[in-house]
Amino acid sequence: MESVLKNSELRRSAIIRWRLTFRGVIFLAAAVVFFCFSVLPVGYMLALSLIDERGDFGLENYRTLLAFDSRQRGLLLNSAALGFGAASLSTVIGVPLGLLLARGEFAFKRFWRFGLVVPLVIPPYIFALSWILLLGGLVPGFVYSVFGTVAILGLCFYPLPMLATEAALRSVDGRMEEAALLAAPPFRVFWRITLPLVAPVVSAAFLIVFVLSVAEFGVPGLLRVRVYTTEVFTAFAALYDFGAATALAVPASLVTLAAAVFVAKIIGEKTLVGRRQSSSALNMTSGGSRLVLLAAGMIFVATCLLPAVVLLSEAFRIRNLSSVVLESGAAIANSLLLSAIGATLVIAVSVILGYARGRAGTNWNWLADVVFVVIFAVPSTVVGVGIIGLWNRGGLEMVYTSQAIIVVGYLARFTPVAALILGGIVRQIPYSIEEAAAISGASWPRIFGRIVLPNVRNGIVGTWLIIFIFAFGELGTTLLVAPPGETTLPVRIYTIIANTPPSEVAALALLQISFVLLPLAFLILWRSREKRTA
Amino acid sequence: MKRIIEYRTLFWLLGVSLLSFACGSPPGTENTTLNNSAPKPNAEVTIYVSTDRVFSEPILRDYEASTGVRVNVVYDTEETKSTGLANKLLAEKNRPQADVFWSNEPVRTLVLKKNGVLAAYRSPQAEGIPANFKDPEGFWTGFSARSRVIVYNTDLVKPDEAPKSIFDLTDPKWKGQVAIADPRFGSTSFHVAALYAELGDEKADDFFRKLKANEVKIVPGNSVVRDMVARGEVKVGLTDTDDVNVALEDKQPVSMVFPDRDRLGVPIMPNMVSLINNAPHPEEGKRLIDHLLSAEVERKLAQSEAVQIPLREGVEPPKNIPPLSSFKPMTLDYGKAADRVEDVTRRLQDILGL
Repeated sequence: MESVLKNSELRRSAIIRWRLTFRGVIFLAAAVVFFCFSVLPVGYMLALSLIDERGDFGLENYRTLLAFDSRQRGLLLNSAALGFGAASLSTVIGVPLGLLLARGEFAFKRFWRFGLVVPLVIPPYIFALSWILLLGGLVPGFVYSVFGTVAILGLCFYPLPMLATEAALRSVDGRMEEAALLAAPPFRVFWRITLPLVAPVVSAAFLIVFVLSVAEFGVPGLLRVRVYTTEVFTAFAALYDFGAATALAVPASLVTLAAAVFVAKIIGEKTLVGRRQSSSALNMTSGGSRLVLLAAGMIFVATCLLPAVVLLSEAFRIRNLSSVVLESGAAIANSLLLSAIGATLVIAVSVILGYARGRAGTNWNWLADVVFVVIFAVPSTVVGVGIIGLWNRGGLEMVYTSQAIIVVGYLARFTPVAALILGGIVRQIPYSIEEAAAISGASWPRIFGRIVLPNVRNGIVGTWLIIFIFAFGELGTTLLVAPPGETTLPVRIYTIIANTPPSEVAALALLQISFVLLPLAFLILWRSREKRTA
Repeated sequence: MKRIIEYRTLFWLLGVSLLSFACGSPPGTENTTLNNSAPKPNAEVTIYVSTDRVFSEPILRDYEASTGVRVNVVYDTEETKSTGLANKLLAEKNRPQADVFWSNEPVRTLVLKKNGVLAAYRSPQAEGIPANFKDPEGFWTGFSARSRVIVYNTDLVKPDEAPKSIFDLTDPKWKGQVAIADPRFGSTSFHVAALYAELGDEKADDFFRKLKANEVKIVPGNSVVRDMVARGEVKVGLTDTDDVNVALEDKQPVSMVFPDRDRLGVPIMPNMVSLINNAPHPEEGKRLIDHLLSAEVERKLAQSEAVQIPLREGVEPPKNIPPLSSFKPMTLDYGKAADRVEDVTRRLQDILGL
């Protein structure tokens, strides 16, 4: 009897060892892809910034940072304020809306979900322009200020925490809230149970909005708010100094690093984990939910309808709409195809990275999140020049001189974001299910395919959407790496924007928005139908 | 019971992959293999163009149709957000992909010349172009020019009250009513560098201090200046001829003044075309440069909505724009102006509080 037990233990440990190796290989492959595509371009630029004019090693580019003057400090402070302000505002708006979408029972839910995601696909610059046209003359003191910029960016980006909250709540157990509701009022349940449940994903969304807001310089430029990002941009566009530009990006990266560490430390790993279940406890059908619905309606009008009306009224002045649309056909097709391929590849890598991060058992795994955020915060131009340096070489022409290089850009820019979000989602899935399956003898690929993936499916679809939207609108890196020939719709719009009447630009912006909305509408309808049949 | 990822293994393998990348051939070492490749049956040429696409595309498509040479184009624009094709060319310096660079203003071309990105080529077609628009060393040749202009709202400002000189913009009468694009970028960076080169530091610093005191509005780009003036948010602004023309064609209430026609002179910005050093198709590149420098292209750019001013005499000027011979161009040493860009950028950051 004793020897039988020993034998089975031995067999089990042998299986575990094999699993670990196989799993290790998959993790390693994802880590290598992440390293080569996302980390190396940044590493290349950092190396470049350590070479002085004579081609020797030197810290000349960083010496200017020592003389960081009050003007630059002010700019950095503005950027940090903008980042924190916009991230906080978008979280305050997005989390209740996500809660409503996940737990509320109300009419036209699909329409609301679709409508409330729309601001994310409106280019922030267009958004700001609409608001200037609407309010610039009425309350210039507010619009042309840091507060105005925070308001506009917060309204642009709230769909991120909203989607994150909804996806997170769909993956967690309503019974915890149910049990708590027996003893505590709803607000307390929300604060003590619901929020901690969604904390990892919401904090990831907070950091993404922070990074996006700090990276934005089109909107602050339009609203005459000076930000630090323009410093980096000046080094590229006015001084053509790659080394100095990279060195100047370092202080902004440090601010992002501080934000990421701050958030990681607040959230920690003390998150609640529950089993996935479709029932929803904190059912928002009455009382406070009406208030949230009303607020949602106002946000919807403010963020979607008003800019859309402004754009439409401009676009209707156009002389020849059909020519604008027809001439953009190839760019639209390219954009849809490249963004879809890019988003799919990014997700394939990030699911593994996110899983590895979610399941890593050390006390330092939050560092992975910090790395993801900091890499994502590297200015797109720095990434673009880094990609050219790495990929424009013998043997890689096939990639560099073709559209594939644009997908390389998407992988470089967006793998960290996707890994950050998916890591948060994986952490919500209880590990005990996987353990149970492992003890029952299931192999790791089987566990991953049959348990992990179905559990994070909602998260994967949501993240794919976000990455698709990001890729569709990507400009900074694409402009630099794009090969000759028709590239993407944003590049097309951008390269004709200066000398095209505002009406045509508005029509093209509407075109861009509607083409991102197509897959969005499809996915949302498909998911709702699937849920109903289920 | 959580599985610990084997970090040590990961880091070790990452280290190995980093090393293998670091030890790989640096960019450009295999240049010769690419350049010596056998000529393809179908000739092609690659051009990077920063002149706005709406204007440059028809010209390049016509060339393609008439010669049968395939023209691969990368477009860009000078709007603020662009980091410019100059950065792409600089990054590709060791392994160039482009044969020709067609720039819509002088500064970038001169930066590229300084960085060894360009090759000298004196086109026989450049004969009718005045000498001050050609590089004595042959690294660039100018053609069809734009000008910096003062744009004003015709509903708010009468033609005889419009400012005639950029120095008028410091008059308290225009307080809070002047918009200019960020002087660190695009054609405005050329304009301010040219002013410093012409006026000297003291006078130029003084001018910008007064402009700042007059509450000048600094906006992201020249098209934003134009749109603000057209909407009446400000009465006047500094922008480019082609930007104003878009508004004129769109029947917006704007008009333009060529500033300082008699005193300082009008700041003229020619297009510049250059051959790329170690270009993959140098012969096709030279042929395309010859075509771009033809009187025919100057005529087309003048008659298009680009309203570009021909540098040759005898080519008809665009409507709404006086011929080059009718005003005094700012006597510009383009190299001298371009050399000032970096220093002027830093000065203006302080003076204008950018």
